[in-house]
Amino acid sequence: MLNDWLLQFARWLDTHQWSTGLHESYYMYSWIETTHVLTLGVFLGMLIVIDLRMLGYTFTNVPASKLAQWLDKPMMIGFVVMLVTGLLLFYAIPVRSTQSIWFRIKVVLLIAAGVNAFLFRAKMQASKGSWDMDTKPPSRIRRGAALSLTLWAGVVFTGRAIAYDWFDCHKPLSQLMYWAAGCVDELHAAGGPG
Amino acid sequence: MDLLFLFEWLDQSALATLSKANGGVFAVVQMFHLLAMAMLGGMVLVGDLRLLGVVLRDLPSELVLQNTQRWFNRALVVMVLSGVFMSSAVAMKLYYNSMFWAKMGALLVGVVFVYAVRRPLLNFSHDTLDPRLLKLVAISSILVWFTVAACGRWIGFS
Repeated sequence: MLNDWLLQFARWLDTHQWSTGLHESYYMYSWIETTHVLTLGVFLGMLIVIDLRMLGYTFTNVPASKLAQWLDKPMMIGFVVMLVTGLLLFYAIPVRSTQSIWFRIKVVLLIAAGVNAFLFRAKMQASKGSWDMDTKPPSRIRRGAALSLTLWAGVVFTGRAIAYDWFDCHKPLSQLMYWAAGCVDELHAAGGPG
Repeated sequence: MDLLFLFEWLDQSALATLSKANGGVFAVVQMFHLLAMAMLGGMVLVGDLRLLGVVLRDLPSELVLQNTQRWFNRALVVMVLSGVFMSSAVAMKLYYNSMFWAKMGALLVGVVFVYAVRRPLLNFSHDTLDPRLLKLVAISSILVWFTVAACGRWIGFS
């Protein structure tokens, strides 16, 4: 059901002239994608610095919460650029992205990373007074930072994998994969549940 | 100097046998290349933006540079190793790709700049250096690494 709605939405976006225009413009599309990838150095780069501090691997003589606070703005600027360029990339190729298992996993990981960041911030604000100057923050903080790095690495991995066609709908896949990737028509043709 | 022999050798090496036969391994190595790029970019930017007075103004710039350099080195090692592996899969194609050579040129400039100019210079107390010089170093650094990354992405488009 959800697969049908998502596909309908993607097909509707696909009818837009701007979507086709973006996809077919070699320079515009390439520059948006380049900006999306290069901004990793800003957003993920800042995040890595903060998380490495939380793990006790760098800036150990600087208060951990201060470093996080100071680098928050450039990190969020990077995030907004990545989000906007990411939405444009989706808009340029809506149907294939919607039916990409990698894109779907990426969205789930993004949500998980967002929830983790929210919980981490709350945890940090509640207790930073007791460990801010510690070279190695307490284990619950380190766990949060390690999870953050893992989730974002997963976002990068799945994001890069979208470009590969290993599990595209036109390939012969199992019914489970057709369902998970949202290959609605192929699933029907294979006799699976709609 | 023609480096064609180097690419022919890489193209026939055991590494190429591995990277050409395993699309999945290639993709995973490429993902680590990207992650290391994020780390390298972060370390470069935090250092350079501090020199420009944009971030971490409450910390001495010497301390910021000190903390970012070690992780820059590590990221660079991962990038070069993963880069050589990826190159082995498409060595002959890269040899004839102008974007690849643009990237290698920019990379050479970047590495020489970091280890022969930026670091030796910034080892001096930053107070004793002309602030305009520090800003020039920071802007050059951002520009050269941006060029390396952008050319790298463009290899795939060209």
